[in-house]
Parts: sequence; structure tokens; C-alpha cells
Amino acid sequence: MNLSLRLRKFPLWSSVWFVIGILYFFMPLYATLDFSLRMERDKISLKAYQVAFSDGRFLDTFLTSNILAVATIIASVILIVPTAYWIRLRVPEARRIVEFITLMPFVIPAIILVFGLIRVYSTPFKIPFTDIVFLEALTTFEIGTDVLMVAGYMVLALPYMYRSVDTGMRTVDVRTLTEAAQSLGASWVTIMWRVILPNLRSALLSGALLTFAIVVGEVVLASFLGVDAFGPYLFLLGQHRAYEPAALSFIAFLLTWGAMGIIQLVTGEQGQAAGAH
Amino acid sequence: MAYLKLSNISKVYGSGKDQTLAVQDFNLDVQQGEFISFLGPSGCGKTTTLRMVGGFEIPTTGSITLDSNDITNKAPNQRNVGMVFQSYALFPNMTVAGNIGFGLQVRKEKRDAIKQRVEEMLELIQLKQYGDRYPYQLSGGQQQRVALARALAIRPQVLLLDEPLSALDAKIRVDLRQEIRRIQQRLGITTIYVTHDQEEALSISDRIVVMSHGLMEQTGTPFDIYNYPTTDFVAKFVGQINLIRIDVVDMTKGLVKVGSQTITVGDKEKQLRSMKHLAIRPEEITAGHKEGNNNLHGKVYNVNYLGAIIRLGVDVDGVRVSIDVFNQRNMKIPKEGDVFEFNFPVEACWLL
Ligand SMILES: Nc1ncnc2c1ncn2[C@@H]1O[C@H](COP(=O)(O)OP(=O)(O)OP(=O)(O)O)[C@@H](O)[C@H]1O
Ligand SMILES: [Mg+2]
Repeated sequence: MNLSLRLRKFPLWSSVWFVIGILYFFMPLYATLDFSLRMERDKISLKAYQVAFSDGRFLDTFLTSNILAVATIIASVILIVPTAYWIRLRVPEARRIVEFITLMPFVIPAIILVFGLIRVYSTPFKIPFTDIVFLEALTTFEIGTDVLMVAGYMVLALPYMYRSVDTGMRTVDVRTLTEAAQSLGASWVTIMWRVILPNLRSALLSGALLTFAIVVGEVVLASFLGVDAFGPYLFLLGQHRAYEPAALSFIAFLLTWGAMGIIQLVTGEQGQAAGAH
Repeated sequence: MAYLKLSNISKVYGSGKDQTLAVQDFNLDVQQGEFISFLGPSGCGKTTTLRMVGGFEIPTTGSITLDSNDITNKAPNQRNVGMVFQSYALFPNMTVAGNIGFGLQVRKEKRDAIKQRVEEMLELIQLKQYGDRYPYQLSGGQQQRVALARALAIRPQVLLLDEPLSALDAKIRVDLRQEIRRIQQRLGITTIYVTHDQEEALSISDRIVVMSHGLMEQTGTPFDIYNYPTTDFVAKFVGQINLIRIDVVDMTKGLVKVGSQTITVGDKEKQLRSMKHLAIRPEEITAGHKEGNNNLHGKVYNVNYLGAIIRLGVDVDGVRVSIDVFNQRNMKIPKEGDVFEFNFPVEACWLL
């Protein structure tokens, strides 16, 4: 009885598709793992991992990418949360336009973005109508390049970040919550810190995770702006080596899943609250 | 001077072609401690008016004074007004106690004072054991009680409720509206309550403002609104009513014809000049013949069994009348096609 019930909930075709899906995802992963363990002939070993880790550039580039990712996440949150909030609150009619804009990175390839950035920011900034330079070209010094990188990454991450934030705001009905808080005497700052942001926690975390994944694996922007980030390093390694990139890819994959697991843990209770709402 | 005074309020949404005149010519004096309901069909401007008192909309014209202070253009967080929403709007990230204490924290009150007030409020709404729960762990009715406590905790000058019970099921709705009334009377707080449910408005208000299409139709006690409606709209919207077409036979004697049967409506000469309908509440009508009352008879065309009452549709020479009969155990329930005789007192006749 119980079994037949369960079978009915899981009809044959659903199960078949499910299994195909699982295979589709895990076969390549398994292949990568298997390959990364075969650096030494006829033997399973962690040699590839050893070699990959012992390269100093691995740690350097990985660190750089992480810092860039964190900077991107912080800047995105500062830009997107108030924007999405204001649109929901005061200009709901602008939502379609903004949503369309946030989809642009899907339509315009990163290569165009990076050429645009280089073209605009590789000349020094002058006070208009004079020759006085008040800022060197951003591409010519490190902090400048980093700023460009973060700005570019923000564009690439926009669809993911905006969507998670906007969905988060819809599920908790920020508009009514804001009005409730206002009627209780709260100022805008209080509303933002005590009501809006805490209720967006899970949305922000998932947006942050996606941003992180994009930034750490990104190649085009970093290569063309000449930043030693993790993406280009992995790419370069892939061209010259066989086993180490496989090992690093697998590690990157584990890191991503680890991060997702943490988010699940941290937001478990919250998600439930939002769901019940 | 009224405690809360709305003078010549109007509100226009949008601009140019797609303007909506949501509220117009709204004048209302609310006394301290009074319970006022705004009653009207969907889209008549109840919420808009309430939100202007709360500060979430600014009136296009007119002014609002509260305790002699002009609050027309004050921000919502600068007014001392409590608000309860249809969707509860509890903060999901805070416990029940956190929600209730929020307004006091914002006001930077002392920890002990907040704690004490929260306890007090929890007791008031009879949810003493629930302080540590999160909103999602409560039922809808409990959530709305917490929302009420949260709004009251800040000791607001006015309490505003926008259809607070619409999301709840019938039984809880009745319980909770009595509870709201009990709390309101105990605290003596000036309250405005928005609803489209006439029974709700009639049962808990001191006064009701009936609205339609952005206009005030009538303001009065529940008794007045129900028994002495001054407009067509109020008569039809509040309670059940029969509108019966009449032809005047003798204006000075008050004789009129329903179909081919003649009845009297009393001394209503002036009204008979302009009004063409007789309005009677179904409960004023009784079955059978009674000397001294108006008597009519017709053919039953519809029998509607509603439990405590049976609603009959009777066709009086082509004029349709609806009649409520109490459901008594030994009664013979009329069938479709039966001839039905009924009567009603002369005083129960209104002209509309
Ligand atoms: N923000 C807005 N922009 C434009 N028009 C609005 C806005 N809010 C309300 N209206 C219009 O104003 C009129 C009154 O709306 P309001 O919400 O006050 O009605 P209501 O009496 O509360 O109705 P309901 O019982 O459905 O809640 C409606 O015609 C509505 O379409
Ligand atoms: Mg409304």
C-alpha cells in the first residue's frame, strides 16, 4: 500500500528523467575526479593535488579572486538593495525596465564589456576644457584596474544579484513591512537595518554565492585587464598541464558545494519563516 | 473641538488622463475614544482615507488635525498612530515579543519598560505564553492579535485597522472582532476600522461612515444606519432590503398600489412626490393576514433555505418581493407556486 502510493508519486518516466539528470551532472564530475587521481601511472594518487597546491601562483591568484569577489558582493549589495527596494516601494512601474537592464549581461558578451571599459578608462581624466589631469587612466595603476574589475564583475553578477534580492523582497512584502515599521515610528535607517536587510538574508546569501562563483571562475575580464586572477591562471594551466587543472576544478567544485551547504545551514530557519509567510 | 478632524479631504491619484478621484468632500469629526467604521464596497476609497490619516498618502486638498495639531503633511513616523494591516505585516525576523517591543525600541525606551509593556500587551491579547515564538509559528488569528498588540504598544493617539479580519475564516472573524472591540473599549482608544462587511461594522462600531465612489453617503450610529438610511445606496448596501415599485393612488392619504393591490404608507405626501419605491426590510414582513397592517398576497417563485431563516421570493402581480420567515419546527414551508399571504406595519414603510 505504502509502496504503491510512493510509486504513484514517482511515476516511471519521472524516475527515468531524474536518473538521466543525475548522470548528466555527475558523470563529468566523476570523470574529472578520476582523471585528477591518475597523474602517476597505473596508480590512484593525490600527486596532481600536491603539485597544484605547491605552485605559489595558485594561492596568489585564488586569494586575489576571492578579494575581488568579496568587493564585488559588497558593492553590488550597496547598489542593488536600495535600488530594488525603492522600485518596489515608490516606482513599481519601473520594474520591467530595470529587470530588462539587469538581463543585458546575458545578451552582451563580456568581451564587449571589457573592450568598452578599456576604451573609456585607458585615457587619463582631465578637467574639461583644460589639460590638467586629475586622475590617471584607471588601467595604468593597480587600484584603478581593481576598481574596473569590480565594476565589470558587478555588471556580470547583476542578473543574479538583482533577481535574488527582488524575489526576496517579494516573498516578505517589503512594502507593507515598511509601512508597519514607519507607523511604529522607525526611520529609514532603522527600517533598512532592522527590517529589510535581516529579512533578505537568505536572498543576499544566494546572490552572493552566485556572484562568488562567477567572479572566481571568470576569465575574459581578468585576462584583458591583465589581472592575475584565478580564472586566467586555471585557463593557462589547462593549456600546459593535464592533471593539475582537473584537480583544481574538482576542488573549486567542492568549495562551491561547501558554500551552498553553509548557506542552507545558516538560512534554514529563515527560509522556513519566509516560506510560511 | 473634535479629537480627530478631517476637513474637506479629497485625494486624486495619478495625473492627466488616467486620474482617479479616490476620495472627495470628506468631512469627519471623531471624538476621543470613539470607534468609527468606514463601510463601503470595493474601491470606494476607504483604504485611501485611512492611509491619509496614517500619513501614507497626502491629501490633495483639505486638512487633518489630531488633538488640535495639524498633521496633514507629517510623515507616518512622526505621527503617533497605530496601524493594523490585512496581511498582519509582522516582522518575520523578530519574535512576538520583538515585534510588540519594536516601536518602543525605536522610541529608545528603557529595556525594563519595554519588557513590562510587552508583558502587558501579551496579557491583553491573551497570548502570554507566545512571546518567544516567531510569526510563522502562529495561526492567522494569533498573528493579527500580535499585530494589534504591536500597534497598541506605542500608546498611539489613534488606532487604524484596514480590513484586519478579511484573511481569517468566519468563526475566528466573529471572535476576534469582539475581542478588538473589548480591547478598544478597555483602553478607550480612538479607532478607525475599515471593512466591507456590514455585519462587522454594525456589531462593533459607535458610528459608521458609509461610503461609495469616494463620497460619504451617511454617517451615523449602527442603529440609525440600519433603521433610517438616508440614501438609496445605504438602504441597499446595509442589510437586506426589498425595493418594491409603487404607483401613487392618493398622495394626501398615502395610498399606493403594488401591482393591483392597494396599501398605505402613512403620512408621506412630500416623499410620494418624488419617490417611486417602497423599501421594506425582509424581517418586517410576517406571513398571514393581519388587520391594521398592510396586507399583500402573491405567488411563491423561489424558496431559499438558509438555516435559521427561510427566504421566500414572492411575485405580487409582477412585482418581486423577498421575505424572511423564521424557520420553526412545526411550520409548513411554502413551495414554489403556492399562494402566499403576508403583512407588514405601516411604520416599516420607507420611500426611496
Ligand atoms: N496608488 C494608487 N494609484 C492609483 N489609484 C489608486 C491607488 N490606490 C487606490 N487607487 C484607486 O482609488 C480608489 C479607491 O481605492 P481604495 O483602495 O481606497 O478603495 P477601498 O475602498 O479600500 O477598496 P477595497 O475594499 O477593495 O480595499 C480605487 O478606484 C483605486 O483604484
Ligand atoms: Mg481597501
